[in-house]
Amino acid sequence: MDPDGLEDAMDLSKDRSQNQGVYIYQPAKSGKAAGERPSKRRKVSSTNMKKDLSESPAFMPLLNGDETPECVQLRFDTYKQLWSDQENKIQNILEDVDAGVLTDVLSFVRETSPQTSDGCIPTGLVTVGSNVSSLSRLLSRLNDQLKSTNEGGVVVLESGDAPNLKTSLKNIIRAAVTNTEGNDGYQRFLTDRSGPRVLGYDLDLLYDYVQRRGTKKLVLALRDSEAFDPALLTDLFSLFKSWLDRIPFTVILGISTSVELFEGRLPRSCVSLLQGQHFEVQEAGNCVDRIYEALQTRADGQIWIGRNITSTLFEKASDYFQTPEAFSRIVKYAFMSHFFANPLSVLLGNPDPSVLPQGRFCEAIRNLPSFQMFCEDLLEAGSANESRNMIQDDKYLLRAAFDHVEAGQQAMRHIFSAVLLIHTCLQHTQATKKTTISDLSVRALAGELGESPLVEDMLATVRTMDSGKLTEVLNTLPNLADDSPLTVIQADLQALLETYADSLPLSSEYNINSSVVKTTVVQQRVLLTKGKANLPTQDIEYTKVVDRLVAALQEYFTETLIRPQDLFMHEAFLFDLRNPLKETFTPRPRFAIERALTSPFDYLISTVETGARISAKQPAGAILYQLYLESGALINVHDLWQAFYGVYESDQGKKVDEREVMALFYGALSDLKMFGMVKNSRKKTDHLAKAAWMGL
Amino acid sequence: MKRKLSDSGLENGLAGSTPKRPRRALVQANGAVNGHAPTQSPPNDTATYELPPNQSTPKKSNSVAATPLKESGLKTPTHKSRAKNLFATPTKPKTPAGGTPARLKNADRSAKKKSARVLFEHDDDAEWDGSEQLAAEILQEDEEDDFEPPKESGDATKVVESVEGEGEGEGEANAEKPKGKDAKAPKRRAGRPKGAKNKRSPTPEGELPAHERYFFQNRAGTGKTSNTTLNKVPLLTHEEYFEKLGHLVDPCKEEKDYLLTLHHRSFAQWNFEFEEGYNICLYGYGSKRRLVQGFADWVYQHSVSDNPPIVIVNGYTPGISIRSIFAMIAAALMGDDLPSKLGSQPTEVLELLQSALSNRPIHEGPVTVLINSVDAPPLRRATNQALLARLAATPRIRLLVTADTPNFTVMWDISLRDQLNFVFHDGTTFTPFAVESDVVEEVNGLLGRKGQRAGGKDGVGFVLKSLPENARNLYRLLLTEIITIMDDGHQSDDEGGADSHKAPDEHGIEFRLLYQKATEEFIASSEMMFRTLLKEFHDHQMITSRMDPSGVEILGVPLSRDEMEGVLEDLVLG
Repeated sequence: MDPDGLEDAMDLSKDRSQNQGVYIYQPAKSGKAAGERPSKRRKVSSTNMKKDLSESPAFMPLLNGDETPECVQLRFDTYKQLWSDQENKIQNILEDVDAGVLTDVLSFVRETSPQTSDGCIPTGLVTVGSNVSSLSRLLSRLNDQLKSTNEGGVVVLESGDAPNLKTSLKNIIRAAVTNTEGNDGYQRFLTDRSGPRVLGYDLDLLYDYVQRRGTKKLVLALRDSEAFDPALLTDLFSLFKSWLDRIPFTVILGISTSVELFEGRLPRSCVSLLQGQHFEVQEAGNCVDRIYEALQTRADGQIWIGRNITSTLFEKASDYFQTPEAFSRIVKYAFMSHFFANPLSVLLGNPDPSVLPQGRFCEAIRNLPSFQMFCEDLLEAGSANESRNMIQDDKYLLRAAFDHVEAGQQAMRHIFSAVLLIHTCLQHTQATKKTTISDLSVRALAGELGESPLVEDMLATVRTMDSGKLTEVLNTLPNLADDSPLTVIQADLQALLETYADSLPLSSEYNINSSVVKTTVVQQRVLLTKGKANLPTQDIEYTKVVDRLVAALQEYFTETLIRPQDLFMHEAFLFDLRNPLKETFTPRPRFAIERALTSPFDYLISTVETGARISAKQPAGAILYQLYLESGALINVHDLWQAFYGVYESDQGKKVDEREVMALFYGALSDLKMFGMVKNSRKKTDHLAKAAWMGL
Repeated sequence: MKRKLSDSGLENGLAGSTPKRPRRALVQANGAVNGHAPTQSPPNDTATYELPPNQSTPKKSNSVAATPLKESGLKTPTHKSRAKNLFATPTKPKTPAGGTPARLKNADRSAKKKSARVLFEHDDDAEWDGSEQLAAEILQEDEEDDFEPPKESGDATKVVESVEGEGEGEGEANAEKPKGKDAKAPKRRAGRPKGAKNKRSPTPEGELPAHERYFFQNRAGTGKTSNTTLNKVPLLTHEEYFEKLGHLVDPCKEEKDYLLTLHHRSFAQWNFEFEEGYNICLYGYGSKRRLVQGFADWVYQHSVSDNPPIVIVNGYTPGISIRSIFAMIAAALMGDDLPSKLGSQPTEVLELLQSALSNRPIHEGPVTVLINSVDAPPLRRATNQALLARLAATPRIRLLVTADTPNFTVMWDISLRDQLNFVFHDGTTFTPFAVESDVVEEVNGLLGRKGQRAGGKDGVGFVLKSLPENARNLYRLLLTEIITIMDDGHQSDDEGGADSHKAPDEHGIEFRLLYQKATEEFIASSEMMFRTLLKEFHDHQMITSRMDPSGVEILGVPLSRDEMEGVLEDLVLG
């Protein structure tokens, strides 16, 4: 009827591109808008337009497009600067974590040779556990080291590269040569040889290369050793063994399970070819904690991630293996989202107030929940004037916002220094289970840390400490401000200790040794009474100091450990939206499809309100899926078809064309098939078996 | 309603038997009662009628009434039902329409007993599918009936209806309801009409949690579906499918377009994610080709460099290889500098690509690779995904993939996920998967009608045109023989109607026989030549060959009968 309609409906574009497997994109030539724009662009692009584009950030103006370009730029720049800062930190942490293993492996590679290992192939067994990405980092750094000293190089082989012996040899040789010579070098290397032509998998080639370069160490690393075919490994190693006198092989095996399991899979003859040393990479969890700590507890931090995200992040990390890189990517995405979509984030860039657009921007601030709370608090405190100013005067508001962003950031820093303090204290007071910074942070960000039993326990333990231990604790505590009561207490304690230097250690009255249990027999019954032992004066004085210390700590905690959500303008420096993050990194594709099919109007915002649950207004796929949901484990196709047709007939009456509906039915059925929801059943003719249950 | 009862009774006793037989048994049993003591039946009836509905019936009488039912329930209906599906109109009563009021009453009585028993033996199952409620209704209804003066004519029609209800097999709940439903239901073919959600509805009442629903739908004895088949419904051919599709008007076109514009708004965001080194994966219902195309346009227009390399891959294309993808990217990247000889291994091409990328000047933009349907069968294999992951991990490659199936994430393990570095976005579009899947072929496969040649009639005709005269003659001979055999088959086993309608390639001709006929007609002079001709057909999937149980090779044609006739017609006329 209408060929355009067909193509539209079927999403068939006129070009043949849909049937091509792979092609290079060509802009549409005969379109309306698309045809003009590129040519127009090209005219200008050579000069100023190009410059504009390269300078303009990837950000879009927010606030309905009313944001000034300066603000957009500032947001972008702030993001870039803040994140590159963080990224460096993360990199340093990763390097630091790897450093230990790297030096071990490097010295192993340097020092071992076939001679030192009884003629066997020297082998490093690296167990990576959950920290899968660490091995690639390790290997690339090892490669850099070896290359820079001209000792040799590292060839990484993955199980996918090794379907059989020939191909794996070929890949090894090529990778070894290209590692130093480059791709062209490899081609030249192949062609420039004198003598008979050698095939690509001949180890003679490698021998040649080793001789030419004077390679001392050729490291072959198998990243996922478990995935290799054991028979192939045996062949490969026995081949290496026989060339070992000419090519200095060292093998590094990345093992995700355990050395014993891996060894068990290999035949004896293979194991006997290797002589190895075992290295262990630090668990990923540790890295993640350290990265998180570095992010949140910086003394000069400007932006923090909130409680929801933290708990999501750590949930994810504990639910399944996650590499530190993946972790930092999620954090990065959080930063990105904040600066990409939050116009307030511009305040973090310390903008000149004159640059800020006043109208919409202030409106945005006034719509913040924290602004409303703040104003209510002001009213309660009786400063109605100020809150009126906030609402009416844009300039006043902006100034206040600036101040509060500063103050809020300061408060956040205090929160985290308190967290650090608690963490250090806990190191001394907790005997067994150590609470991590991330645990503490989650509580702190929720504003619950101050009252948590964790802190109470800690303070109780501090009370019972004797003087020796207490000084130790106080000395390790992070430096607080000079005038804080803690410093005074520390000084007092020091003085006390000097006075009673001969009767150390002092213990407080809370110490278990200081209380005495009295046993009295009254009328043949034993009475136990707990009483305080008579304390020497030095202990009484010490107890006073301890009491002061605990009181000071308590005060400090209640003062600093506030709820970050109570801070005015916290939206600018605290990113705590669970959603873009969760959906972006842990998608639920099956749920999305099921939702699209069961309630299509969640996606298709319809103007027509349909009362019926299933109606012909819905896409065919959705109709069929809902009928499918109603059916049992076995579905009669004929009946399904009749039901499907019935939906259309009841909606449109007799004028509906049965064959057209059938075409729709076909499309919908093939969708279900493609999603793996139905399969052919052999139980009865023309029956389908249900293969997926919604929500399971 | 009676059906319901007999069934719920069965459910307690013998789950798994089909409902048809019990009905006959019931009728027979009743008939027997009538035959033996026709005069006694009225008192007998009244006796049962007077049982107060809500009092529990004595167990004994129950079991007596139920015994014949249970026994007969063991037999399964066989050819009868099939024959009925084909020939019988639903209203035609099976047994000679001797529905006497007495029989009806017997049926009623039995129904009442069942209801009473269902109510008495309270079980969970019944509660779920509402049979308990139904039982209560029956008893109530009968109570009301008792007060009505018996009306012979009304009863008579009721007999027919009730028999019909039972004879229907999957039956309406009772005779009154279907009238309302019929008006709404489509043309009645043999079989269960739409909406007749009968007693054991697979849809549980109310909202159930997902796992409960699973167990509900997988209970033993729920696998009862009607025996109707698609024999009478002519299936769509490729031509008809596309023709009909062209006539359709999409009711949600505006909404879909709007949805697409919503997605278009996130292009800037996607671009930002690209810049920050992430790759993108789009998922959700509907073909995302147009979305990807739109994004390609957007990237092209907003690119810094003049002619940004953008490579689009259609993962659903059969026979697509990773190497060809890499080679195309390399071509897009290097243009004329592409070496004439790329390696045969994908890894070689990838390494070439990587070295070319690292030598690429900084001011030239990155390469954008857009892959449609990355989870389509040709790319689904683990090795392919591992290679794609390595491509994705290459710096200055921006990869956007779309995935159509619900469980695509299982393709990637943790290290692949790490390399791929995806951010996921919901890209639901509701656009039909027109190009991604061969709809007609998929459905045919699903219905067990596989083997119907992809090209259908036209394809075969096309191939035949390019073949020599001899081959055409041989094919004509083959078709004639097979059609003759099909006709013979029709006449010989009439009652096995369903068999003759099975997959068409069930019919075939013996290899020897065809060879003989071919030599007789001077089509092939030697077996060698004959085989060469057949090989040609085989290469184009125009014949099928299988061994029958006695080891004889049978040749068939993977076309439906109509198509065969069409091809034959063309052959003879052309």
